[in-house]
Amino acid sequence: MARDDAEDARRSAGNRSEPSRFAARRDIGPLHTDRGQEARGVRVVVGGERGPFKLLPQKKRTKRDRHARTRVAFFRYSYYDIAFKFFVEQVLDADFVALPPATKRTIELGSRHSSDFVCAPFKHILGDYIEALELGADVLVQFAGPCRLGYYGELQQSILRDLGYEFDMLNFAMLTGKPLTEYISTCKKKVNPDVSVPHGARNMLAVFKMIENLDEANDYYLANAGFEVVPGSFDRARAAYFDAMRLAACERDIAEAHRAGMEAYRALPTNRPGRVLRVGIVGEYFTAADPSSNLDLERKLLGMGVELHRMLNMTNRNLRYNEKNLRASISDYVTYDMGPTSSMTIAAALKYAQEGFDGVVHLKSAGCTPEVDCMPVLQRISRNTGMPVLYLSYDSQTSDTGLDTRLEAFYDMLAMKKERTR
Amino acid sequence: MNPLELLNRPTFADVERIGMPRALLHYRYGTLWTTFFESLGREVVLSAPTTKDIVAQGDALSHDECCLASKIFLGHVESLIGACDAVFIPSIGNLGRFKMFCTKFQALPDLVANTFAERGLRLVSCLVNELEGVGMREALVGLAAEFGATSHEARRAWKTASRAQEHAERAKTAAQNRQLLLLDHARRKPTGEERASVSILLAAHPYIAHDPFLGGELADMLDRLGATVFHADAVDREQATRESFEFSQTLPWIVNREIIGAITACYEQVDGIVLMSAFPCGPDSMTDDAIVRCMQGKPILNLTIDAQSGTAGLETRVESFIDILRYQKKGGYVHGS
Repeated sequence: MARDDAEDARRSAGNRSEPSRFAARRDIGPLHTDRGQEARGVRVVVGGERGPFKLLPQKKRTKRDRHARTRVAFFRYSYYDIAFKFFVEQVLDADFVALPPATKRTIELGSRHSSDFVCAPFKHILGDYIEALELGADVLVQFAGPCRLGYYGELQQSILRDLGYEFDMLNFAMLTGKPLTEYISTCKKKVNPDVSVPHGARNMLAVFKMIENLDEANDYYLANAGFEVVPGSFDRARAAYFDAMRLAACERDIAEAHRAGMEAYRALPTNRPGRVLRVGIVGEYFTAADPSSNLDLERKLLGMGVELHRMLNMTNRNLRYNEKNLRASISDYVTYDMGPTSSMTIAAALKYAQEGFDGVVHLKSAGCTPEVDCMPVLQRISRNTGMPVLYLSYDSQTSDTGLDTRLEAFYDMLAMKKERTR
Repeated sequence: MNPLELLNRPTFADVERIGMPRALLHYRYGTLWTTFFESLGREVVLSAPTTKDIVAQGDALSHDECCLASKIFLGHVESLIGACDAVFIPSIGNLGRFKMFCTKFQALPDLVANTFAERGLRLVSCLVNELEGVGMREALVGLAAEFGATSHEARRAWKTASRAQEHAERAKTAAQNRQLLLLDHARRKPTGEERASVSILLAAHPYIAHDPFLGGELADMLDRLGATVFHADAVDREQATRESFEFSQTLPWIVNREIIGAITACYEQVDGIVLMSAFPCGPDSMTDDAIVRCMQGKPILNLTIDAQSGTAGLETRVESFIDILRYQKKGGYVHGS
């Protein structure tokens, strides 16, 4: 009875005027109303019975078969699943749960179970995790990171637990600021008690090398795939390269796969006209780099015959990130570090402008505070240098056709501008 | 002497009147900043309380995805142009690990500088980033050198300012604690009256809760309905932050930590909690939800305010929430009289 009362009280308490772009989201509905619709902007909850006021109350750990290999899953992030797989198999010595390409269901699952104005990457990752758990993952991995990313893990774990999933999370955010021994003992506790530290450390370096290789190959792909003579030849070479990388089990395999892959790329015939449109891609860490989050924006632009450049990747943001030097290059515009990827976004945009690029596309998830704060700076760069910038904001509702129209219009504008200045 | 002091040239020596936008972190550090600059012999010009015009100005100046509070901030900055020599906007990153501020506060000086690039707005700014060893003290003392103050004057100004800030905070906390005690007392000796009165914790960022245009209106409304309002930022901050680690280990934002700690601290005394956020607040998008999901046994009203509506139309919701609380106090919908 008391429970019914509580549920009755979970109701919307009125309507608000709201921007139409959020209207469509209602039919998915948030998690916490068990029935009926909920108006955005207001929610009443009369508390029911639950554990202590804690995001992750202590839970008795379910006993696992200690001889079974742990099945570890990551979220989807561009082509880095290859490096994640290598990390799980060669560093943690566990089984990797490979996820199939993301579908519409992924993001729907993710947004159904998250608060509606949380950023889109959160929803994507939550959807990925649900699919991974459906595929039998025991342990989910989440990173530490700046901004909201460091908090993703704990919140997602809490949401998934409330949904009734049994799993453990290897959340590196819980370990920030702690010594390396803590990392090792946590990996041992959660994933594999027999982890070999020397073997793992060595292969960790191989993971970094692999990420650098993947990014290098991707830079080549972005710069040249727009001019392929045989349609689809670059994508085929890319798939073959990824397959070879996936099979790599040691540093030598990685180097060999990379050499062969780059050779295959370079052997492909291209037809590059004299004056090509060069476009730079800048923006938020997840949306700008992950094709399933940005609706395959890069392939769309490549299909129009554009040369693409993107400074933002794991190599430049994580492995070789030097925020102070990036900021020094934009000192005309910015004094302070404005956020996790802000310096890179602005520095890349300014660099592209100075190198005479024809345009820049700025991508972010809707409501991403640091990237929104970059926009006045980008607008000023655009005004000062005359380089057009297309601002795109993605949420779980962004449509494919809407994006096509805007990209085509942007391309036409750049092409006409180029023609006029001939 | 700090060798870095040699690098600071008195670039702001000619700044006599310092503008202070009455928005965002002014509601947290206002006393500290104002006293500090006044101790340095400067005049502080505080912008007028938020009005509809300021909101409209700020809205026009910012990108539409910015949160309402930051739009209002830009409105305040705009209103200070011409009224002062320079506007004080520090870049505030964090007060330590898992004690960060929203990235907005890090970006504010550059955001304002680029938004007003063509308007000739002069900024006074400094960096606060405790993870890199620059706390508020170091930042302000360093800034004083740029105003041409000697290190002795700077340290004295800091002392005066931090004491004033501490005093103000303690007074606020003491007043609220007294009220909470009274409430406890009344509850132990029921006279029948306390059944009709309800007490509510207004859990919101200080710049939402105390802005006359946002939370101020809500507090007035609650007052009119006969509810006693407690504020999350009037709870002892240190203690609240400590308690919040019980709730979450990795929650990055200090203000949200304080709100969660305040909920734990006032949990027994209050009848209900109003969670209020500006749309689209990044930190709140990830904590309001967690709070609502994990809270047990206390009714919560979760309100989101955006630039279109402000607080219009709140009345019905707040009224119905108070009604729910009154019913509950009488023993619930079923057993109530």
